[in-house]
Amino acid sequence: MLNYTNAITEEKSYSGLQMKEIKPVMKLVIRGKKREFLSAIGKSLNLLLPTEANTSSSSDKLTALWLSPDEWMIYSNEILNSETNEYETENLLNKNISKTNLGAVTDVTDQFVLINMKGDKIFDLFETGSPFNFNDFRNKKGSVTQTILAKIDVIIHNQNKNEVNLFVRHSFSQHLFSWMNDSASRL
Amino acid sequence: MFIINCPYCGEREQSEFKAGGEAHIIRPKQPTELSDDQWAEYLFMRKNIKGVQFERWVHTHGCRKWFNVVRDTSNDVIKAVYKMGEKPPTK
Repeated sequence: MLNYTNAITEEKSYSGLQMKEIKPVMKLVIRGKKREFLSAIGKSLNLLLPTEANTSSSSDKLTALWLSPDEWMIYSNEILNSETNEYETENLLNKNISKTNLGAVTDVTDQFVLINMKGDKIFDLFETGSPFNFNDFRNKKGSVTQTILAKIDVIIHNQNKNEVNLFVRHSFSQHLFSWMNDSASRL
Repeated sequence: MFIINCPYCGEREQSEFKAGGEAHIIRPKQPTELSDDQWAEYLFMRKNIKGVQFERWVHTHGCRKWFNVVRDTSNDVIKAVYKMGEKPPTK
């Protein structure tokens, strides 16, 4: 059964940094290797999946993140109606991808928590707890990385200048958010 | 600590990876025909040399792909990185 309550209830603000959870946002993980898989996704969603490592692509409604050579995450740009557990995009992909055996579609909406971060101190915060080198990443709009933050697996999407979307597994989200608050208060 | 150049994601710090032991160990085609000693040799015995070693690594906290690394175990210098199924650079 879906739990509609937010994992992170507060919106936190520090000088040069604001953090809040954005919910509900549809999140799907899709996997496939064949060329037909890529073209079927492109036709179904009107969105070309990024094939270059550590990049993303987006359309009006959706954003696709490169996770590995045969794995992508797709999430909706807009907040959805929370009373539903049905996603038009997922149904479409199930029909065009899963049922035609081109690849796999997994709904990870409730598995991942999306934390939106804004401000010029985002990367100062990341640098206190991640082994990843953010020097090039921070200047490249749309770049994506999967790395560790405070020993927790995260997916980081550089959405805009001074705006980052961070995905973390639901069960780690409260701990990570509390760690981020602690770390942000010392920046 | 050292940096590994993941063939899929690029340069990342070692803590994002896990080591998977020696690479290019071939499974015997007919395990039932082997003696216990031969099977144990295949299953457990590893070279673990001081010097250049061929190893498997997995990018656990990144793309979760397996690949091969040629590493000098005495000083952690990585000589080469190549994908699974590719031929080792020198062997």
